[in-house]
Amino acid sequence: MRRLNILIGALSIPLFLAAWEVVARSGIVNMVLFPPPSIVAVAVLEWIRSGQFFSDFGASLYRVVTGFTLGAIAGVALGVLTGQFPLVSSLLSPIFHVLRPIPPIAFVPIVILWFGLSEAGKLFLVFWGVFFTVWLSAHIGVQKVDRGLIRAALMLGTPRRQMLQEIVLLGALPYIVVGLRTAVSISFYTLVAAELAGAFSGIVYRIEIAQQNLQTGQVMGGLAALGLMSFVADRMFATVAERAVWWR
Amino acid sequence: MMQIRQRPDPTLALVPSRPPTAAGPAEVLTTIQVSNLSIVFDTPQGQVIAVDRVTFSVNQGEFVCIVGPSGCGKSTVLNTIAGLEVPYSGEVTVDGRPMQRPRPDVGMVFQQPHLFPWKSVRSNIAHGPRMLGKSRGEARAIADGLIEMIGLGRFADAYPHTLSGGMQQRVAIARALANQPRVLLMDEPFGALDAQTRSVMQDNLLELRERIDATVVFVTHDIDEAILLADRVLIMSAGPGRILRDLGVDLPRPRSNAIMLDPAYIALKKDCLDLIRSEGRRAFEQSTAG
Repeated sequence: MRRLNILIGALSIPLFLAAWEVVARSGIVNMVLFPPPSIVAVAVLEWIRSGQFFSDFGASLYRVVTGFTLGAIAGVALGVLTGQFPLVSSLLSPIFHVLRPIPPIAFVPIVILWFGLSEAGKLFLVFWGVFFTVWLSAHIGVQKVDRGLIRAALMLGTPRRQMLQEIVLLGALPYIVVGLRTAVSISFYTLVAAELAGAFSGIVYRIEIAQQNLQTGQVMGGLAALGLMSFVADRMFATVAERAVWWR
Repeated sequence: MMQIRQRPDPTLALVPSRPPTAAGPAEVLTTIQVSNLSIVFDTPQGQVIAVDRVTFSVNQGEFVCIVGPSGCGKSTVLNTIAGLEVPYSGEVTVDGRPMQRPRPDVGMVFQQPHLFPWKSVRSNIAHGPRMLGKSRGEARAIADGLIEMIGLGRFADAYPHTLSGGMQQRVAIARALANQPRVLLMDEPFGALDAQTRSVMQDNLLELRERIDATVVFVTHDIDEAILLADRVLIMSAGPGRILRDLGVDLPRPRSNAIMLDPAYIALKKDCLDLIRSEGRRAFEQSTAG
């Protein structure tokens, strides 16, 4: 039974591709709008051979990684501050709670006004989306640190700095890791919005150009590349997350 | 193959240096002085007096148990000695200095072990010495000595969640002892354990007691536990918390759970129970009359 499951699991994607190929070539659908996987594969190969794939991939990767890193650092830092110090929280939390529910994509028009079509605007959008998610998870994580652990640490003479580093930050880590993982997928959403709003390279930019030229094979190839990239990022992060909370 | 490692004698490491005494050895030194201590809590129903003008002292090296029903304020008294709670009025001093905040010469074991889940058994125990400025090597040596003493040598690198409740609480005791506290406070440390583990832990603590020099204040609601462990038992009443009786326990040491069959033990327990029962009746009549 288990072997059968594995076998069917292994066949799942090939079967899907085969069915797609057959349907696309059968004439039931318009092949220009709905190209078979073989044509998509050719388009992807052409994309890679022209060298554009790597510059597109690099541009998108740079935006996601940089925006995510900046947003994550700012989110954790401010989350720890607002979680730990009531005064800072009173000052900043109301502002963050007002800004957080606005979907980051809605900022595209104003970002274009502020930054034009520059890289800074794209990084800002990714940063914006990542920041609030990570901030909230760090804030909640710090507040949920077991008071008993803090009292125990106090009784052992733990100074303020070590209390923050060794007790509060580690106590909040499981929450922070969950926030960061959610932020990984958010960074891809915002990347799409950022590149659709106007760019000169990038995977989503390539999808948009191909759409305008009715290169549907290229469009689907771009989607596949984006999906793969997001999937790999999530898997990689899941592995990192498991090790980050090493004591579990 | 045997490996010989230099390790400081844990029993030596645990003996805090006594302050120099001008007088002879017969003089009794007061370590903890609780004077006229009151603690008032603000609740939505108004102010509640949790502890009402409690006065007692604990001599150096003494083992004192505070017994009382839940809600009598015994843990609050302990938290005040720990510096975790500030007196509403009155004063608490340890070695003559008022307790305003936690101090490393006063250690605490809570009802829950509260071990740092991200630290191994060794790192948990080494935490205190490291915070007091000991090098990693020194802190590790102290921790290894204590791990031997609590018999968890095999688990030095284990994380707390892999240990049983009793083992975790042994680690918590070792962690509190690692700073060589002058005073060890214990807040129902065996309250969350099953009866069997509890009696093993009590015997362990009695053995430990023979090897350490710290003054101990131990809070419990279990009269048997109090008489078994203590040199003196303070019996508290609830609402508001007061000390009803200060009872000396003149049973020979070293003790173990076997002492519970001793006639002297049973007589002492009867005294305590009578006192608590009459106090319970008084409190009940008061509450129904009011």
